[in-house]
Amino acid sequence: MLQARGLTKRYGGLLALDRVSFEVHPGEIVGYLGPNGSGKSTTVNLVVGLLDPTAGELSLSGIRASQDPIGYKRRIGYVPEEPSLYTHLTAADYLMLVGRLRRLPAATLQARVPELLRLLQLHDSRYKPMTAFSKGMRQRVLVASALLHNPDLLVLDEPFSGLDVNAGLLLRTLLRMLASEGRMIFFSTHRFDMVEKICARVIVLSSGRVALERRVADFAREGPDSLEETFVRATRQPDFAPLARQILDTIAGA
Amino acid sequence: MRDRPEVVLTRHFFTSLFDFGFLSDEGAEAAKRALLGSLAVAAAFGLLLTRVFMAKYAALTAGPEDAYQLEVVADHAFLMAVPMWVVAGACAVVGHSLFPDQTDFRVLMAEPLSPVTIFGSKLASLLLFGGLFVAGTHLALLPLAALTMLGALKSGSVLTVAPAFAFSSLLGSLFAGLAIVAVHGLLLLLAPRARLLTLSGAVRSFLLGALVLSVPLVARLPGAARAFSSDAWWLPYTPPAWFVGLERWLTGDARYATLGALAAIATAAVIIASVASYVVLYRRFDQVIAPSSPSYSSGDDVRSLGRWIGRSPVRHAIHRFVSLTVRRSVLHQTLVVGVLAAAGGFVMNSLLSADGWREPLDTRVRDGELFGTLLWAPMAMIFLAIPTIRIALSVPLDLRSNWIFRMTEDVQGRGEVVAATVRIVLALAVAIPLAILGPVQWWMLGRAALNVVLAEAAIGWLLVEWLMADWRRIPFTCSYIPGKGFVPHMVVKGLASYVFFTWATGLVLRFSHARLRTALVFVVILGAAAGALRVQRWRNARTTSLTFEEVLPTDVTPLGLNVD
Repeated sequence: MLQARGLTKRYGGLLALDRVSFEVHPGEIVGYLGPNGSGKSTTVNLVVGLLDPTAGELSLSGIRASQDPIGYKRRIGYVPEEPSLYTHLTAADYLMLVGRLRRLPAATLQARVPELLRLLQLHDSRYKPMTAFSKGMRQRVLVASALLHNPDLLVLDEPFSGLDVNAGLLLRTLLRMLASEGRMIFFSTHRFDMVEKICARVIVLSSGRVALERRVADFAREGPDSLEETFVRATRQPDFAPLARQILDTIAGA
Repeated sequence: MRDRPEVVLTRHFFTSLFDFGFLSDEGAEAAKRALLGSLAVAAAFGLLLTRVFMAKYAALTAGPEDAYQLEVVADHAFLMAVPMWVVAGACAVVGHSLFPDQTDFRVLMAEPLSPVTIFGSKLASLLLFGGLFVAGTHLALLPLAALTMLGALKSGSVLTVAPAFAFSSLLGSLFAGLAIVAVHGLLLLLAPRARLLTLSGAVRSFLLGALVLSVPLVARLPGAARAFSSDAWWLPYTPPAWFVGLERWLTGDARYATLGALAAIATAAVIIASVASYVVLYRRFDQVIAPSSPSYSSGDDVRSLGRWIGRSPVRHAIHRFVSLTVRRSVLHQTLVVGVLAAAGGFVMNSLLSADGWREPLDTRVRDGELFGTLLWAPMAMIFLAIPTIRIALSVPLDLRSNWIFRMTEDVQGRGEVVAATVRIVLALAVAIPLAILGPVQWWMLGRAALNVVLAEAAIGWLLVEWLMADWRRIPFTCSYIPGKGFVPHMVVKGLASYVFFTWATGLVLRFSHARLRTALVFVVILGAAAGALRVQRWRNARTTSLTFEEVLPTDVTPLGLNVD
């Protein structure tokens, strides 16, 4: 189980995250929603161990991130929001680099890398440097690299961004199957439809604090658009009609 | 006027020529300071040169007119060569931005701008960029140029000589800049698109390497008066000589007409090639986004993937990552080639100056200029190459992507990362210099060269272990702040270290040259010291995390003046 207790992060005088607590259980997909600037990315960076919290504690299956950061990170697979990877490498080179850094046995890598590339429809482009890849192709490489070491926890930040319909459907199905096998999935997104389709639980973040935590099934009982409406209320979003009107007035006056 | 699209776009292209794309905000600020500092250094260098040449011209004015004129010709070749070198170097560094590229097409063609505006603005920004360096170097060398014209002032021909020199020198700088543009333009038009990036990087590295290697030759031009008087065979292959020939021809001296004609033909050729490249690319601009299939096909899967496999997984992965980055990243390839070429050029200059190359040295020879230079050369090259290769490995590549290294760091891996980097530095900064200079030493020193090379390898290993003892980063993955040290302190420290190192290693190599047994004793002692540092490095690496973000030193060093 992933446990976050009182996570707080300060950047100088700015309080980005304020005592955030949540849990992700084995076999569960948890959606993490919030408007821009609410602290979503900070949470993701803390969960994957790229940032250290100012206060609070993270643990994964009993391993505390503060005490054994290497053992903690070893169990995590991560797909970042931006497709940040070394594009001068080929997809095969990149996966081999990640596999060697994660100390996977040579035989495992030589079998697993070509197979993952084939299954994610990257095999034909395996010798091309990723500078020539579309955003969707890069996203598939990141998915492959996150799964390569068969992690206990998968942390996904907008994983469907740039994927075409087929790749999106494949990833959705894959996430459900991973969860059914007992993996934990922490899924940060802006897309309500994806949360409703694949998540068991949703956590809504607003101004660095947890504004709402509920089971997704509860929204379904309350009717269509319930999640969206609840999100708008929980995050105290303004009425967008006057804003849209102002924009129209601005460009009309130009 | 300032808001016209042409002006805005020219300004954008011009500023982007100074954007190296790999520095953080702090790094970019530090680089600007370093650039301003180098302008001041250029001005000071010009004044220093004038001071050095004053004595020469004081002596020349007392001598015969012919000798005076010959020295002026050689000095003018030097005065033209410096701006030519600087302009060519600047254009070679920004070789990737000399023509509008795919990004320009995608971003700018979506705006209401015509290709004429885009190409015109690009050209204008390049002219401004080149003009900045032309003006800067000519201004820095103006006092020296004025000094060389004192004779013409006396004889009353200064009104002919000065404009002829200015015209020829400016034309020479134009030629140097456009030659680089022409090479890149022809490459752009003729190379297959799938290989363009690789070829362009290789050409840029080659040009920069050749320019750096030519520094000693440029520095020797003021001493080449006799070569000009005797029409030396190499003059037609030396571009600055062409433009001096043009200058002399313009002042009415027909002896150099052939060189002057070469200057005119070469300048016309590079102008035509550059303009033609621009025109053809302008007409085919939409093709820059045509799909291509760059491929690094390397046989079957097993062979390709097998290259990542080794007994120490992280060490092998880092080694392969660095090797692929140096091969495919234009910036890093350029840095490594530039560094090695600079060290090579420095050493080559001294080797060329030493007399006695006609036949191998007697095995009993233990002294003399050539003997000393042969022992000094690899040590100087190693001393220069190790810290600069270290800097080249510190320059980051796409910092946002380093998260994968941060997520996969482990205790054992830290040691393997440092070990991989040490091996790379050993290969580039020790093995390559020894491989180049070893055969030269063998040729001149005979079998005794073996003793010397063994000792040199041990010294190189020890120096690498010593200078890499505090290395805690994965090459190319940590942010980089250039010039964070106090420059005068670093220069003094570096010079003192260089003097001590070359003196001490010179002694070791002289003793090693005398007897194989002595060489082996040195190898054992130096090897033991390097081995001890290696063990210490592994121990330290386990306890210290890798660095992914470089910070400016903020600690104030107390002078302790108020200690009771």
